[in-house]
Amino acid sequence: MGRTFGKLVTLLLGLVLLGAACSQGASSSTVTVTFWHGYNPDETKVFNEKVVAAFQQSHPNIKIDAQAVPYDAFHKKLLTAIAGGQAPDLIRADIIWVPEFADLGALVALDTAMPDFAAVSGKTFPGPLSTNQFKGHYYGLPLDTNTRVLLWNKTMYQAAGIAGPPKTVDEFTAAVAKLSNGKDKFGYAEGGTGGWNFLPWLWTFGGNVTDANVTKASGYLNGPESVAALQWFANLYQTKQSGPSVLGGDPHTDVGYAKDVYGNVLDGPWMVPIFKGQYPNKTVELAIVPAGKGGSSSVVGGEDIVLFKQSQHKTEAMEFMRFMLSKQTQVTMGNVGQMPVLSELAGSPDLPAYFSVFQEQLKTAKARTPSPAWPKIDDAIGTAVTLALKGQATPQKALDQAATTIDGLLKGS
Amino acid sequence: MASLRGASSISFKAGEATLPRPFSIDRFLGPRGRRNLTAYLFLAPGFLVFATFMLYPLAKAIQISFYHWELMPDRTSRFVGLSNYAAVLHDPISWVALRNTVLYAIGTVPTQILLGLIVAILLDSIWRLRVFFRTLYYIPVITSWVVVSILFKYIFSSDAGLANYVLHDVLHILPGYVGWLQDVPTALFVIGLLGVWKGVGWSMLIFLAALQSIPKEMREAAAVDGAGPIRSYTSVILPIMWPVVLFVLVLLVIGSFNVFISVYLMTAGGPVHQTEVLLSYMYHQAFDYLDFGFGAALSNLLAVLIVGLSLLQIRFLRREVDY
Repeated sequence: MGRTFGKLVTLLLGLVLLGAACSQGASSSTVTVTFWHGYNPDETKVFNEKVVAAFQQSHPNIKIDAQAVPYDAFHKKLLTAIAGGQAPDLIRADIIWVPEFADLGALVALDTAMPDFAAVSGKTFPGPLSTNQFKGHYYGLPLDTNTRVLLWNKTMYQAAGIAGPPKTVDEFTAAVAKLSNGKDKFGYAEGGTGGWNFLPWLWTFGGNVTDANVTKASGYLNGPESVAALQWFANLYQTKQSGPSVLGGDPHTDVGYAKDVYGNVLDGPWMVPIFKGQYPNKTVELAIVPAGKGGSSSVVGGEDIVLFKQSQHKTEAMEFMRFMLSKQTQVTMGNVGQMPVLSELAGSPDLPAYFSVFQEQLKTAKARTPSPAWPKIDDAIGTAVTLALKGQATPQKALDQAATTIDGLLKGS
Repeated sequence: MASLRGASSISFKAGEATLPRPFSIDRFLGPRGRRNLTAYLFLAPGFLVFATFMLYPLAKAIQISFYHWELMPDRTSRFVGLSNYAAVLHDPISWVALRNTVLYAIGTVPTQILLGLIVAILLDSIWRLRVFFRTLYYIPVITSWVVVSILFKYIFSSDAGLANYVLHDVLHILPGYVGWLQDVPTALFVIGLLGVWKGVGWSMLIFLAALQSIPKEMREAAAVDGAGPIRSYTSVILPIMWPVVLFVLVLLVIGSFNVFISVYLMTAGGPVHQTEVLLSYMYHQAFDYLDFGFGAALSNLLAVLIVGLSLLQIRFLRREVDY
């Protein structure tokens, strides 16, 4: 109903305005820079108490108004803010959002606007930096990087008499079968059906989403390797070797791992501190994703810090960006699971030792399709995987359909 | 009203007769105009709010639906005629969403009317504790949709949620745990159940008020004529209440076509858009895919549908009540 739609937009805009009004409480001599991030509660605590506090100390005239926006609500909240001309100055954006927001015309091209961009960006790893590139310009700076590795459940492995983490997909499949009891123990569990969840296996099996130039998905997403990956992935679920969490059921992967319901999950570096806090008796065992036809692969994640065109305080915001990329900040956030992007910090003793597994995985991990249409592409992949898992389409048919959809999306952008 | 009119015209004449006339708005407007002006001024604040929060967004939604809408305020949107409407009608998910919305209306509206009526009749026939029970049944109506949606999501968790625990572990009715919100039929059932649970209190309250406004003599007369308790409801009381039932029906149908929060929070339209309702799909298109033209077109079509349905109901179900 038009009225409801209007109401909704008005309501959201109202909330945003309210937020903006509240943030203008500082005195006139100081400048307020708003920064939305999706840090989890533990990370937020460290970020506020150490990073923001330190910045405030050295920059008394710049007030950082940091808001922890939950990841699931971030994208929508941001769009509403942009449409209302009330975007924050800076955000910590999922790397996969950068092309979308750059395409929208919302972001400042930093390589032209930031005088020392070359110097600052030169200190970062090239992989994470490249996620800021869109149509010949850089629209942000990398902030943290990550990937998903295998978290294997030592308690369950030992109970099943399996020595250590599997090195190949075949070993993994055998281990998963041993760890499952067809009832309430599952050898493996995934947290969803989207690209973030399924693509590590697709790549490990030797498949691809698109061609190298990202022009089409047909022949790649529905190629024999990709179909084999989905066949295997769906079979695990249908034979009760993969937990209900993949289709949104309970328990979630972290809870199931902690309670010895799930024998293996894939997850990121932030999970180690979370487990330490929430399940102090559960140690997390890490290994790289078992290798298949395409070697051991995984999905590159991470966040970039981007500056909005609507920002009224670009100079001050850039100052905060530099601070976020300082060695001190990167080490501080590294210790709560945010892997640094500064090349000088590779192998640094100031960082947690478990990062080495993630660094190893990052060598072969791949990026999701860099396209402004990513949300729809992700949706198409998720639909295909869900249909195959539920047995409502064969893996081949499901992926054929997804490839056709994605072909259209890539042509349209 | 009459005394007001008199007072105004007297002061008018008095002013004319004595002093050189100072500026008076009455001279321009006349007595009737002044009265109208007063009314308009009193109406203005309300109208302003209505215009800002209803008319303007409504007009904007109509405008957006004809454009390939650019989100950035500094970019120019492209006029695309009716192509957003064509896209809505050609999108299979739109039809899935329509199907689910209609199912929700069919499942929840009659149930709410029936249960609301039964509860109202029961409450009407007791005297002690009536306020207590009335309040109890009304509490779900005033609780937040967000809170109860999340509550229901926990109750119907696929793991050992309350529903699974009771039905499987305690009563052994179910052979195993059910992923309530992961399958389309069960998810729609849970969404409908929440709608009914939350809505019954509202129709109950309206029906109760209607029942209490029926003169006692009518019931007595029915009893004298030999009608038993059931007959007196079916032949006397319900016909008298018919306009109220129609009122409740029309509003509930409108409400059911606007179902959104519960769906959005419990299933988010998933799995693979199969539990999408019209508004959740509109929201998805606009705020996840940035296709505001599609979203606006979809919501306008929904508006037309609701207006049409309401007119049809009023046209065909209205009965004159005479007593």
